[in-house]
Amino acid sequence: MSADASKSSGSVSPTVDFTFDGTPYRVPEGQTVAAALISHGVVSWRHTRVGEQPRGILCGIGVCFDCLITLNGQPNVRACVTRIETGDVVCSQEGCGFGD
Amino acid sequence: MVAARSGCSATVIDSGPAVGGQYYLGAQSPEGGSGLSYAALRRAFDGLVAARGIDLRLSTYAYALQRHADGFVLRTRGDDRHRHRVSEIGARTVVMATGAFDRQLPFPGWTLPGVMSGGGAQALVKGSGVLPGQRIVVAGTGPFLLAVAYALISAGGNVVAVVEANEPLNLARHARAALPAAGKTADLARFVSALARKRVPYLRRHRVRRAEGLDRLESITISRVDSEWHPVSGTDQVLECDALAIGYGFTAQTDLAGQVGAHMRIGSDGGLAIAVDDRQRTSIAGLIAAGETTGIGGVDLARLEGVIAGVAAVEHCGRRSALSESAIGRGTRDVARLRGFADALHATFPLRPGWRADVDDATLVCRCEEVSAAKVRDAVSDLGALDARSVKLLTRAGMGWCQGRVCAPTVDALCGFDTAESLIGGSYRPVAVPVPLGAIASDRMSP
Repeated sequence: MSADASKSSGSVSPTVDFTFDGTPYRVPEGQTVAAALISHGVVSWRHTRVGEQPRGILCGIGVCFDCLITLNGQPNVRACVTRIETGDVVCSQEGCGFGD
Repeated sequence: MVAARSGCSATVIDSGPAVGGQYYLGAQSPEGGSGLSYAALRRAFDGLVAARGIDLRLSTYAYALQRHADGFVLRTRGDDRHRHRVSEIGARTVVMATGAFDRQLPFPGWTLPGVMSGGGAQALVKGSGVLPGQRIVVAGTGPFLLAVAYALISAGGNVVAVVEANEPLNLARHARAALPAAGKTADLARFVSALARKRVPYLRRHRVRRAEGLDRLESITISRVDSEWHPVSGTDQVLECDALAIGYGFTAQTDLAGQVGAHMRIGSDGGLAIAVDDRQRTSIAGLIAAGETTGIGGVDLARLEGVIAGVAAVEHCGRRSALSESAIGRGTRDVARLRGFADALHATFPLRPGWRADVDDATLVCRCEEVSAAKVRDAVSDLGALDARSVKLLTRAGMGWCQGRVCAPTVDALCGFDTAESLIGGSYRPVAVPVPLGAIASDRMSP
């Protein structure tokens, strides 16, 4: 689903390696966590506290907090505005993310 | 930039990893409205950062603004990886340009993954080079839908349709007073012709009624609607799609101004805006506002307002701005002209009440606290709530992570409390971005 990611002439664009729920993924550098997941067909990474419903991104620009995810052990990180970095351990989040 | 050129010491706080905001998304976007390219703006800005020592703080969120002595204190935190990193900055004058986000209306199925805002879809493709899905529908109302579709198509995206609830041709009638906004009209023409080339249907007077899917978006149902947005019976149509980019105009981010009690006004789009005079000055001395936060109007208007705001900031600090009086006069006239065109667009693409009938009992109105429309309506009909605040206290709608940014106006509308007073009350947020309490506490305790 990548959109013309490597337009730049010839040069190999740098990539980022991370894991999501234990599975390794590789994406071009500079993507947000949400974009990195969506480019691999993952559209949901959280279940809500009350109804346990799946959620992905809504506003996509850091306002609505619907896309919260657990990043390197820290819950409630906005996937839509946080850039993915090499070595990131990304985990889907249940409820408020503190395992209650 | 105006402030730095005029000899003031300036600090720039930007929540993004690069300057440019949502329009430019850090150079990824080659064009942002007519006029200056990002590259040219960026060169000028970077030059000033180096030459005049602008203190540039990227990936930094301003979460609170307070008045202090003869100025302000602005409290900031780092991005989500560094949210414990808090700091405070004192300033004689503050220019806020906090932008806006897509206005959403609830409908059955709108919480399904794959349903996202138009701005969110645009950010994915412009900021990260990723398409939101393989079959994308763009829907809602306003010229922004065309910009989103254009960005998706330009990146090779498969846009199934653009679903517009209003009649765009009405612009001819509304824009007569504000015709000389030629650049804007050319942008729209370019977007429409790109749709035509790709044979993407632009379905006018159509509205998304519901989204369907098990645990992700699989299809949407749209209907033809009348001018009040009530569906015309027998016109239901199912569109298969795995992404829906939707938005009904924008909501301005007014939080910081609200914290210090700046006057608000209702913009011509029905949303809240910070009230400013012809020099972008708010009702609070020293607080200046520019861009979408003073009324939704687009990138060209925002940039012009930014320049005028810079002048006002310099003047408030008791200096003369580097801009000539005639240039300032031209600027304020251009602002008025573009504001007129924005008003014409808002008159062409208004919110109409027909959407409310689609919000069935089970539809979540507040996504954060998972509050259904039934609960919100019960708060009024059974529990006797007489205002928006009571509805919030009874149902928790608006008490979640987003602090009612997404749902407060729609809760008001569903309860019949959609007055200016209620909109202003619902926009008050003492903390603009969540901050860990521990970070604030340790900051206070350090000597």
